[in-house]
Amino acid sequence: MSVADVGETLEGRTGKPPRKRARRSGWSTGYLLLLPGLLWLLVFFVAPTIQLAATSLYDSAGSLEAGYAMTWSFGNYLDALSTYREQFVRSLIYATTATGLALLLGYPLAYAIAFKAGRFKNLMLMLVIAPFFTSFLVRTLAWKSILADNGAVVETLKSVGILAPDGRLLATSVAVITGLTYNFLPFMVLPLYASLEKIDPRLLEAGKDLYANGFTAFRKITVPLSMPGVVAGTLLTFIPAAGDYINSELLGTPRQYMIGNVIDNTFLVQLNYPIAAACSVVLMVVVVVMVLLYVRRAGTEDLV
Amino acid sequence: MSKYRMASAPSTQVGQGGSLSRRTFLRGVSLSAMALSGSSLLAACGTEGAKQTAGSCVSEDLSASQKQLNFSNWPLYMDQTKVNQGGKSVTVYPTLQKFQQELDIEVKYVTDVNDNSEFFGIVRNQLAECESSGRDIFVLTDWMAARMISLGWLQKLDKNNLANVEANLVENLRAPSWDESRDYSVPWQSGLTGIAYNSELTSEVGSFEELLTRSDLKGKVTLLSEMHDTMMFMLLLQGADPEDFTSDEFGAAMERLQEVVDAGQIRSFTGNEYGQDLVKGNVVACEAWSGDVVQLQYDNPNIKFVAPEEGLALWSDNMLVPNKATHKTNAESLMDFYYDPKMAAELAAWVNYICPVAGAREEMTKIDPDLVENELIFPGDELMAKTYGFMGLDEKSEQDYQRQFAAVMGA
Amino acid sequence: MARSTQDSRASGADLSLTSVTKRFGGFTAVDDLDLLVERGQFFALLGPSGCGKTTTLRMVAGLEEPTAGRIDLGGKDITRLRPYKRPVNTVFQNYALFPHLNTFDNVAFGLRRRGVRDVKNQVQEMLDLVELSTYGERRPTQLSGGQQQRVALARALINRPQVLLLDEPLGALDLKLRRQMQIELKRIQTEVGITFVHVTHDQEEAMTMADTIAVMNHGVIEQIGGPMELYDNPATTFVSNFLGQSNLVAGQVLGRTGDELVVEVEGSKLGVPVDRARQTSGRVWVGVRPEKVFLVSGGTSTDEGANVLGEARVIDVSFIGVSTQYLVRMPWGQELTVFEQNTGARERFGVGDSVDLHWTPAHTFALDASQDARAGDERYEGGLATAGVGT
Repeated sequence: MSVADVGETLEGRTGKPPRKRARRSGWSTGYLLLLPGLLWLLVFFVAPTIQLAATSLYDSAGSLEAGYAMTWSFGNYLDALSTYREQFVRSLIYATTATGLALLLGYPLAYAIAFKAGRFKNLMLMLVIAPFFTSFLVRTLAWKSILADNGAVVETLKSVGILAPDGRLLATSVAVITGLTYNFLPFMVLPLYASLEKIDPRLLEAGKDLYANGFTAFRKITVPLSMPGVVAGTLLTFIPAAGDYINSELLGTPRQYMIGNVIDNTFLVQLNYPIAAACSVVLMVVVVVMVLLYVRRAGTEDLV
Repeated sequence: MSKYRMASAPSTQVGQGGSLSRRTFLRGVSLSAMALSGSSLLAACGTEGAKQTAGSCVSEDLSASQKQLNFSNWPLYMDQTKVNQGGKSVTVYPTLQKFQQELDIEVKYVTDVNDNSEFFGIVRNQLAECESSGRDIFVLTDWMAARMISLGWLQKLDKNNLANVEANLVENLRAPSWDESRDYSVPWQSGLTGIAYNSELTSEVGSFEELLTRSDLKGKVTLLSEMHDTMMFMLLLQGADPEDFTSDEFGAAMERLQEVVDAGQIRSFTGNEYGQDLVKGNVVACEAWSGDVVQLQYDNPNIKFVAPEEGLALWSDNMLVPNKATHKTNAESLMDFYYDPKMAAELAAWVNYICPVAGAREEMTKIDPDLVENELIFPGDELMAKTYGFMGLDEKSEQDYQRQFAAVMGA
Repeated sequence: MARSTQDSRASGADLSLTSVTKRFGGFTAVDDLDLLVERGQFFALLGPSGCGKTTTLRMVAGLEEPTAGRIDLGGKDITRLRPYKRPVNTVFQNYALFPHLNTFDNVAFGLRRRGVRDVKNQVQEMLDLVELSTYGERRPTQLSGGQQQRVALARALINRPQVLLLDEPLGALDLKLRRQMQIELKRIQTEVGITFVHVTHDQEEAMTMADTIAVMNHGVIEQIGGPMELYDNPATTFVSNFLGQSNLVAGQVLGRTGDELVVEVEGSKLGVPVDRARQTSGRVWVGVRPEKVFLVSGGTSTDEGANVLGEARVIDVSFIGVSTQYLVRMPWGQELTVFEQNTGARERFGVGDSVDLHWTPAHTFALDASQDARAGDERYEGGLATAGVGT
């Protein structure tokens, strides 16, 4: 009662005009706050993207020495797609597989951290993030040792007959996908954890009260409610994985090259800027389209 | 790491694009329009040629007033030692320190060259526009040095300041096809490309032909992803001269490589990382760089280096002075300093690559007699006679060959 | 078989708790509790927060396991039965509706889990019952608090549980809606005939709806009975204060005259019916409800046979429309409360007036003097918001 009184008095005393003024200044402050971000986007995203798109349309007969003429060569895209179709397809297959594996590994992990870790919750979260404290390259190179031809993993797989006696893991798709899965796993686990942790435990109690056993409650309540995390996690894993080239370079061979390696090679070694740019644009467009379709399909109205 | 960052950047931004609301998107479009009307209009018109000439891009030399030098080199390419400074262990470069003391020139030494192509990407924009790259001297491999010379991005050196170089540069390296009188480049260190094998796991691999055909090596062989190195051997196998070949000969060599790859003989094409595979036994024989092998032998004496019957590649990493570098005379002083055989020997004793300085071998007897007999640091005349360089290529052929090579690697 | 289960569900069953104890670490939430809820009853567990009433409810639902004791439902021991196997459903505090499901699917949840194929008619019937027939497509976030409450009720009721548990089901609603829902709940309970166990801290809510109320405090039950019985004849000081208000004055039992005890309070002799006395000798608390007391001008009380306490002084008067609330100070310093109905036939007093208090002995009760006279009185215990007092 007294609280309401105070509120009313305050409002009465300040009256309407100051409120209006406050609202207007809030309006412009909002836009001012947006400004640095917009400038940043303009300089570091919009302009480079336009530059990239333009480069992809240069005459591919040009050279660094002689310069490139803008000839609106949409043929570059055909060239890029026909020459590197294999790597494009491979990138999508690897990224999809790695994302699927990361989900399979990450969900139980995130679930355990969110619901079962108790006082070890923070420690476990730290451990999930810990790999980020070392370099991406070092982490990936470590997998070379783990998967080495005469290492424990390969020996074990050989002894149980999963791997042929002359088989190997390094320099195969398996190694590359393993590397991708490992490197992007935290991007899967963290959003999953965030959405699982938000689930009200009382909902699970309500489920049990309504005749759902543990597994059914998980399937009908936990899983649907963690969908925003699943969507965010899969996107955060798939997008960088599709563009990655370190894993295929270090753990695979040129036969496992992904589109990232192609862009790296065409840009830095072949100096074929138009084709490199065309590949980049295709990758961007393909990923954006896939993400849009996926997000629409997953029906994540609560996500955004 | 930097490579990775470059690759992932566009994807991240795709992610942001995915969550744009309609309004933000519309605003984005109008901003894009603004950007289009600004700097990116240039992009829409294409780019100008990046070729420079001594006339189009004039550099100023401030060496007389500014006793300093910015030096970019590869990691682990300079003798170093740890000293205790105020309780902390600090890495110092003894020969470089000596240079600074003797000539009173302050050197800013940075090891930021990790890869020829990558470094080219770093300095490309500035040098194409005739702007300073922020470096007075950097070290790049022959083929990249050749590219920079043909683009006109390097300053011509003054031989009057290079007495030691003139006197002591070894004979084989004096006239590469791409810089016949060494007007623009001075070798820092040289190396051989040949074959390395793990003697514990396989018998000697004496020729490139063996490496590519012996069935017991199948799937256990790597080649270098550096086109010039690998193709030189393929050209030699075809009977062509790597220092002077036609594009038909190159095509034939490429075909042969394709066959070998299709046969499954090659496990992978690699950069430096073949060393780890060789020591661990993932790979039993491979195309290898001499300096790496010397290092690997310290860890595993079973690693052997072979000069293949077909011949070897002799290559150098060269000191170059880019346009707009303002301390050319200081740079020349440094080049000349390291061509003093005493300094060259000190350097060679640490980096274990081939020393391009005549007379250093004699100096080495005082430093480390063991290394004097090491043919991978001081190769004998017989070995040197079997070495080849790679023909300097213009940008278009380089592009074309690289594309073909990439296609074979990734097929 | 299925048919008979359905029937037993519909008719409800006795729920009994025997010596049930629940400890959380060193804290005893429920202490050796015995309770019998008969089938078809609307039973309320009433008590302040932290008294153990919700823990008791959760043990019945199977969401907590008793540390000791047993729980029987319809003659079957369900103490260790998994919650999803119990013929018991709960309306949770804050409802716990599934946010990813619409109203229809929320209500159908339990049926589907039990393998019922065709849920449409049953769900629609249930939505009709709670008057949400057209809201099937809405998500919980698109419903008002009262609507959510009714969905939660429908979601539980549709399963025809033997016992329906309600955990503060109206706590999140505003006063007006709460009143409306109280009537609604009572109507539905009458209609479906299921045993309801209703946990609340709101004494008025409990009294409005329940047939039987158990008043809980500190993990034990203070008193069980019908609302009127509890109000008129409280067994403890806690019940007398927590259920409505009481005037408690210290007295000494002098003796007995027929069915009445004679108690001396500060020099006055008061009568207390023996069957309303929890203690019949020695020191006692003599209690009377404020609305049972009449005020007359000092020294004019003549009504023979009435209990009279004289020489009081009015120190505060609050006019509340239907009644006037007086605060009077007794000669020995204690303040007592008197509610006078504004019938127009009674004399009015102002602050400072000298008055006598009198009431019929039949409305007097006597409590154990060893209990705290302030127990359960929200004016002293931090004031749980209750409807009907002071507003």
